[in-house]
Amino acid sequence: MGDFAARTTKSGVVVVQPTGRLNMVAAPALRKQLNDLVEGGENRIVVDLSATEFIDSSGLGALIAALKIARKAGGDLRIAAPTRQVTTVLELSNLDRVLRSYESAESAFDG
Amino acid sequence: MARHTLDAVTGPDTLDEIQQTLDQAFGNNEVSDYTKMCIELAVSEIGTNIIEYSGDGEPVRLSMIVDVAPDAVSVTFTDDGHPAPVDLTQVSMPDEAAEGGRGLAIAFRVLDELSYTRDKDGNHWTLIRRQSE
Repeated sequence: MGDFAARTTKSGVVVVQPTGRLNMVAAPALRKQLNDLVEGGENRIVVDLSATEFIDSSGLGALIAALKIARKAGGDLRIAAPTRQVTTVLELSNLDRVLRSYESAESAFDG
Repeated sequence: MARHTLDAVTGPDTLDEIQQTLDQAFGNNEVSDYTKMCIELAVSEIGTNIIEYSGDGEPVRLSMIVDVAPDAVSVTFTDDGHPAPVDLTQVSMPDEAAEGGRGLAIAFRVLDELSYTRDKDGNHWTLIRRQSE
């Protein structure tokens, strides 16, 4: 169990939903939770950002770290439903290409 | 011009206190959502740098002053930690795979002015975002 709500979809993708502010206070917990999932054998992960009202470089660092370990494990990490603030921060840090966002957690691994 | 201040010893609650100070400063003033977003992001990045590095993980004394004027929002931070080893002329966004090192680059990108000086009182950071919208 981690700090943030997690569920598994019918197709076996784990969805984690961080809430509130993803800054230096919350980012280490998200990073650990995602790391534990991959170590536990899950390698298709969606981070649902619909309830993340704020992200900064600390939160971005947690997502990039998890993306790398998920890919190393043969899977992927995708993000879904980012709020406007999150979308803006991804764009201005040039991370919108590596962390492509999907409309919903359910559609993130379609196709 | 409205001024709001915070005096704190850095710890786990400092980022929340910084955000509350900004919320109070924005509360009574006409500031666009985009300007607020830029300032909140830059303040979080610089605040995080001070909290994490200025005292090498130990608490430092931090003061924050927020001035909201019709044409610009400015925030100054002063802390009594050790000098920050930064060269603001050399800030660039790290590549996509980097797990850290984006904080100053992000702050730089959303501000109109970012400066750092060091004197006998400690470190001084000045963040300015003009109100363009």
